[in-house]
Amino acid sequence: MAQAARSEIILEARGLSRNFGGLLAVNNVSFAVRAGEIFGLIGPNGAGKTTLFNLITGLNQPSAGTLIFAGKTLLHQRPHQIARCGIARTFQNIRLFGGLSALENVMIARHIHIRTGALAGMLSLPSARREEREARERALNLLAMVGLTERTDAQARSLPYGDQRRLEIARALALEPRLLLLDEPTAGMTPSEKHGLSEFIRDLCDRLPLTVMLIEHHVPLVMGLCDRVAVLDFGQLIALGDPAQVRSDPAVIEAYLGDE
Amino acid sequence: MSATTLLQNTLNGLAIGGIYAIFALGYTLVFSILRIINFAHSAVFTLGAYLTYTLTGAPWGFNGLLAGMALPFGLPFPAAMLVSAIISGLVSVVIERLTLRPLRLRGADPLLTLVASLGVAITLVNIIQYMVGAENFSYPGRPFGAIPPAINFGSADRPVPVRTVQIIIFVVSIVIVVALTLFINRSMIGRALRAVAEDATTASLLGISTDRLIMLTFFISGFIAAIAGTLVGVSVSISGPYFGIAFGLKGLAVIILGGLGDIPGAVLGGLILGLIEAFVPPAYIQYKEAVAFALLFVMLLARPEGLLGRAVVQKV
Repeated sequence: MAQAARSEIILEARGLSRNFGGLLAVNNVSFAVRAGEIFGLIGPNGAGKTTLFNLITGLNQPSAGTLIFAGKTLLHQRPHQIARCGIARTFQNIRLFGGLSALENVMIARHIHIRTGALAGMLSLPSARREEREARERALNLLAMVGLTERTDAQARSLPYGDQRRLEIARALALEPRLLLLDEPTAGMTPSEKHGLSEFIRDLCDRLPLTVMLIEHHVPLVMGLCDRVAVLDFGQLIALGDPAQVRSDPAVIEAYLGDE
Repeated sequence: MSATTLLQNTLNGLAIGGIYAIFALGYTLVFSILRIINFAHSAVFTLGAYLTYTLTGAPWGFNGLLAGMALPFGLPFPAAMLVSAIISGLVSVVIERLTLRPLRLRGADPLLTLVASLGVAITLVNIIQYMVGAENFSYPGRPFGAIPPAINFGSADRPVPVRTVQIIIFVVSIVIVVALTLFINRSMIGRALRAVAEDATTASLLGISTDRLIMLTFFISGFIAAIAGTLVGVSVSISGPYFGIAFGLKGLAVIILGGLGDIPGAVLGGLILGLIEAFVPPAYIQYKEAVAFALLFVMLLARPEGLLGRAVVQKV
């Protein structure tokens, strides 16, 4: 993370709201994520963290407010268009293609980088084969990066829980995103696995031009890993700053950290 | 049963079963992506048979708007079948865009979509009837050119003749099944199709445009339907605009037998239904459908999850 890049804003939310019936899941939230940083998002269950991710990825449309990614609005864009803009995500409850192999799961995310059309693919033209081979190589590299080289041909649903989490991250990275949204990536992991993943995320951000937004319940991990942390409570942003600031914020202590 | 009858029945069964199989694949593909049964599939099957007939340059009969007319040119039969398949594929895409997509975007119940597709099927069939009447049409002459109409698999003194057309039908069906399976299992787009079938939301978050894959699915399904329709037409005849609807019911039976959304299951189901029908004794030939459906019913009682016993939508 070069200092120059830090000042550049990659994602900006202004007055973002989303209600479901009478429930205000996200309520007038504004924040800006800087390019290259690891941006933590914490808050009690039901605070609106996942809804925020759903708004960013286009699964839900905001009821009010704006979302700007790399200078372009995300409003009224379909999820696949947003993914093509360079935003990838993982899920709290892992959503792999269970019937497909680990390798295939990652290769699917290479789809947007394929240039040849359906007909070329159907006729198995040389251009299509070459792209297929490239996609496979890239996918294998990513699997190696997350430590799943031995498991490339295993059906995704047969993998152990920790491997599934890592596979989902490899799949998201295959999109070559500029912004990666991780929804509780260490949920259900052992402390040493949590530590390993945390190192892995830091390493990614150092090596790639990648910005990470991270929802996480494990507060020490968030505080240790993130450059800045936002705290949501009942859909509202109640604090935003570097970990030390957030940790000492009285509103945060009352709403969230105090419960721990 | 003599060796001749056995061989002839088996080949007849495999030929018609092969058509059932590829026809059912169209249903299955659409079902695995959208979870709907597309009844318009059977009308596209009919359309394909009529289009191939037209494209060979054959004249229409005494009825309908096009009575006595013919194209000023005629394509060789294989070319006519290919062009007909392409047009039918496009028609299938148009049907999806005009009727099924608006319903889908409004979040309509699958049952509503089913009824709408039935409406499309009946409309299309009626248009065909309005154009060319309800006569029976046969493809003229020898569609496969110089190939002899029958091949003798026995000796000169104990002939076991088999109709060439049955062999061709079976081979064409197998080629389609194999090509489609390879496409779905090996290609990038096939992989994307499987991803959408499993979880369309997650697929869209990976940048996959579901709409385009749905269009492709409908094109493939219409393409295959037209070939199936043409093959039935060339094997027996085009017995009127409604011949696809009756066939469509069997296609439904086949995919249910095979396990909804399961491609190998649909192929196996088609072949089994074809073979059962072929071995119904001649004395009961007018009941062959009743026999076939009764057996299907018994099989389903034994294996309600379908022949290969998998859950809905699997790797194919």
